Amino acid sequence: MSSKTIVYSELRASKAYYILLSICFAIAGLGAISFFHLEHEGHYVTGMNNQIVWGLPHVFAIFLIVAASGALNIASIGTVFSKTIYQPLGRLSALLAISLLIGGLAILVLDLGHADRLIIAMTYYNFKSIFAWNIILYNGFLALCILYIWTMQDRKLKAFYPYAGFFAFSWRLILTLGTGSIFGFLVSRAYYNSAVLAPLFIALSFALGLAVFIILLFFTYRLDKRELGDVVLNRLRYLLAIFVAAAMFLELARHLTALYIAQRQGVEQFILLDGGIYTLLFWVGQVLVGGLIPLSLIFCRALKNNHWSLLLASILVIIGGFVQLYVLIVGGQVYPLELFPNAEVQSSFFDGEIHAYAPSIWEWMLGLGGVGLALALFLCGMVALRFLPKSLADSELVAH
Amino acid sequence: MSQINAYRRKFMAALSGIAAGGLASGVILRSVQANDVPAKPVDQPVSNKVRWGMLIDINRLTDGGASMVEACKREHGWGNDPKARPEQQAQWMRTVKVTDKLTKHSFTLPVMCQHCAEPPCVDVCPTGASMKRADGIVQVNKHICIGCRYCMMACPYKARSFVHENLTDQQPHSPRGIGTVESCNLCVHRIDKGQLPACVEAAPNAVIFGDLNDPNSRISQAMKALGGSQIRADLGLNTGVRYLGL
Amino acid sequence: MLALFAIALVGCDAGVPKSNLAPAKAKAAQCVEPTAEMRKNHMQYLLVHRDKTVIEGIRTTKHSLNECINCHIAPTREDGSAVHYADEKKDHFCASCHTYVGVKLDCFQCHADRPQVAGTINYQHKLSSNTYHLSAKGTQPNASDLLWLGNSQNQGVTQ
Repeated sequence: MSSKTIVYSELRASKAYYILLSICFAIAGLGAISFFHLEHEGHYVTGMNNQIVWGLPHVFAIFLIVAASGALNIASIGTVFSKTIYQPLGRLSALLAISLLIGGLAILVLDLGHADRLIIAMTYYNFKSIFAWNIILYNGFLALCILYIWTMQDRKLKAFYPYAGFFAFSWRLILTLGTGSIFGFLVSRAYYNSAVLAPLFIALSFALGLAVFIILLFFTYRLDKRELGDVVLNRLRYLLAIFVAAAMFLELARHLTALYIAQRQGVEQFILLDGGIYTLLFWVGQVLVGGLIPLSLIFCRALKNNHWSLLLASILVIIGGFVQLYVLIVGGQVYPLELFPNAEVQSSFFDGEIHAYAPSIWEWMLGLGGVGLALALFLCGMVALRFLPKSLADSELVAH
Repeated sequence: MSQINAYRRKFMAALSGIAAGGLASGVILRSVQANDVPAKPVDQPVSNKVRWGMLIDINRLTDGGASMVEACKREHGWGNDPKARPEQQAQWMRTVKVTDKLTKHSFTLPVMCQHCAEPPCVDVCPTGASMKRADGIVQVNKHICIGCRYCMMACPYKARSFVHENLTDQQPHSPRGIGTVESCNLCVHRIDKGQLPACVEAAPNAVIFGDLNDPNSRISQAMKALGGSQIRADLGLNTGVRYLGL
Repeated sequence: MLALFAIALVGCDAGVPKSNLAPAKAKAAQCVEPTAEMRKNHMQYLLVHRDKTVIEGIRTTKHSLNECINCHIAPTREDGSAVHYADEKKDHFCASCHTYVGVKLDCFQCHADRPQVAGTINYQHKLSSNTYHLSAKGTQPNASDLLWLGNSQNQGVTQ
């Protein structure tokens, strides 16, 4: 154990900080405009339709929600697994988790056909629905994160810190299982119906949450001219590699299983071979950009201790993860439902056709708005309370 | 035994190029009991003693069900929403042309909500807006529908549509509006009055409607004799809409 | 500024709008509940009735929204234009008051906000009837009108 104590302080609200904050709020404002437009006009202004019922906003929302639960992981490793090197990052990780979750939920809620009936979603519960469970899980996650931060910030509550950490960790695992199960439980859709989606979402959340965390940690320390050493970043670097590999492994398992099931060969062939843009996104976006390149960047010996390569790897993981969710959510719907196996079907309702989806400007605005909101909350939080260790230089951490 | 005979008959009929219904020799008209399906008193709740169902004989649908679809459109007023693009138009019911890839055998059938006994759309709905009535009718309670579209993701039959825009002058008996999901509801408003669903009336020679729980109902008798296949029977949803000649 | 204030004052002077009861009065002397009760609690009646109707299939007319509309709203104005809840004129019975008190309602997103004018085809036939609308009433059902029901004995003979 270190003899030194980690000292935390608020982020200095510099000019650059305010510029950043206003940009984030401006983007969030675009999201708000989009919401009012959808609410007023209806969803006909979007690219979504009766075939592609969940589109780009859902990709953004699920990305943020999955990343949120992953972001909390840094704190959990410090608390639950007693890795002391991660403990100084705990507060920031919990703050990021809250911010990302709120951003993601905002998109999800504002895309509803009846966002004004949010109170109904909170008062009428169908407990057989994984969606209803998720509403409880999300709210509980927010509450637990706040408690967790409280036990980290208040010396008087230090005794509760391990418990809060443990509960938050278990809760977030269940939460991501729940998010994955939103798709995993869809019995009728050949591309989704699989229990592997739940652990896949957990692995994905570890990778995405960590990648977002690395990028934000790096730039926040730059913004405030604080010291960030190689020790911390190298730990995060290899952790990221493990998570990316785990996500790729589970995705491989998912596709191999599906390829063995005759019923699913059609949709697998579509995604993996002749799906045009979706095949391209899968192989180039998800596998190459989101998996192989970041792994090479991390394990390349020449780039050891190179912050920029880690940063690039994190950005690529984020892009790859986003693409993965896009292929999963949109690609899975683009392929038509199979009413009659081994038969060609046609109808006035686009049965048997590969559906087209082109997101409109409103969907982009809503999705990016959620990202803007998440970042704005994150920025506000760091100024309001002491989330950031004054220094994460190697000398501060060696003894751990 | 009777089923085997029925299938054999149909097969023979197909071979000789005669529509199955044309073979009048073996047709027995069960006398329909007058109180087969008593009209429910308006102030009484529906009971789970009945389960409404429909048997559609595809071979007797001369138009593949197009007239049924038209009747549905007229009854509920969907399909002409002014601003929605074609792929955003609601479609409670459509005719699907199926061609087997190997045999090239082709047939057309109407597909709508299949009114499952175990509806996936009801399981996934977070608020309980997607619901199954006591008498087996699956419908959306639009009062508490938040428009999340999860039921549309869950339905294997693509039976549900989302209303993408503001509407006015809906049919008074069939409310439908912006931001909610909708689908065939077996014309609940008509059934509660003791009338047949609009599509059944549009194809009286090919469709039997009735109570699946009553072994003596015309539909139960017909299904006992001739069977009634389900679309995607592999999912085990126990649909209330059944087909002959699938 | 002063002008704005004046406009606001004029708005206040307008006072409580008169709800247009003429269409209803022409049809009945009395609403389904006493007027004071309806003014205060109509939403409660509608709320209870809507769940009974949708979930239990109880279709009594007394507290049904459709009946409110049928009685209280004339489908068109004297000039022949359609009366809608969202109209600028706010002469729709529900709008006249709801606009004034500023209570938003979403009933008419789905429900028709005026009585139906053009009648649709009238389907008359009961579930229990053994004749369909294609066959003339009173005649015996034609063999081709009814689905073919297999009979094992007969089939055994014919095939």
